[in-house]
Amino acid sequence: MKLERDTKVSDEIPTASMADIAFLLIIYFMITTTFAATQGLDFQLPDEQDETPLVEKEESVLIEIMPGGQIVVDSQPMELDAILDYLKPRLERNPLKPVIIRPDPDSDYGHMVDVFDELRQAEDKIGIQVRNISIPTQREIEAFWY
Amino acid sequence: MDLHASKAREAVIPTASMADIAFLLIIFFMLTMTFEVDKTRVTLPETVVRMEVPKKAAYISVNEAGAIRVSSGEELSVTVASTEDVLSFAAGVVASQPGKEFVIKADEGVPYRTIDGIIDSLKRARVEVIYLLSGAEATELEGGGEA
Repeated sequence: MKLERDTKVSDEIPTASMADIAFLLIIYFMITTTFAATQGLDFQLPDEQDETPLVEKEESVLIEIMPGGQIVVDSQPMELDAILDYLKPRLERNPLKPVIIRPDPDSDYGHMVDVFDELRQAEDKIGIQVRNISIPTQREIEAFWY
Repeated sequence: MDLHASKAREAVIPTASMADIAFLLIIFFMLTMTFEVDKTRVTLPETVVRMEVPKKAAYISVNEAGAIRVSSGEELSVTVASTEDVLSFAAGVVASQPGKEFVIKADEGVPYRTIDGIIDSLKRARVEVIYLLSGAEATELEGGGEA
């Protein structure tokens, strides 16, 4: 008896393993993706070419940050959450009142950020924005303050 | 009476569209993925006010030990010896890309002296805007302004 060989060739592209490959790639991306912190406080630096504005210390509010994190505002020790209440009447009289943050070189960077963040929340907390915040560097302090 | 025998059904789960779904997910990951130019591990200070940092901004990171690394935002960060090196790095970046934003990614426990030196170098290099990278505090508010 003569048996015929089955010569029919499938015309389909095998895609069964495609999903396996794709899911392997997904797992790779999910494992290697890291959620990076991409937000922070923005700070506009003054143009060094401009003439440095002379700010009388008496006209401004000076916030000093001590090495242990203590805050001294205009020579008075103060808690972080009391700063805006202290500033409110002064800003109402002069919305452009300069507020100077002067951290001690030995203080923690985090304490400076806490104070800066508190000042940036002024509009939400006391209804008035602190427009004129400056953080002079040690070089500027030595050049212009003494 | 015409009775048909019941036909056996094939127990196959249709997986033809599985690959489409999977490739859609891959495309999503590929488009949203950004390569971190600086992998320094730091404990960021937490703030309520947080602004989105521009993509491709230059990075200056300072870890708890005070080691400084810099990146122009296009390649992986490299270690520099001092804040004076930050000045030459920043001046080079600003010369080629005026108006480039800089991000300071520093550990909250770093002595302010180091950050002061970096900010001073950035000012001297004519950098216009810097961002102090921070983590989120419990209550997040949107907002910003000029300091």
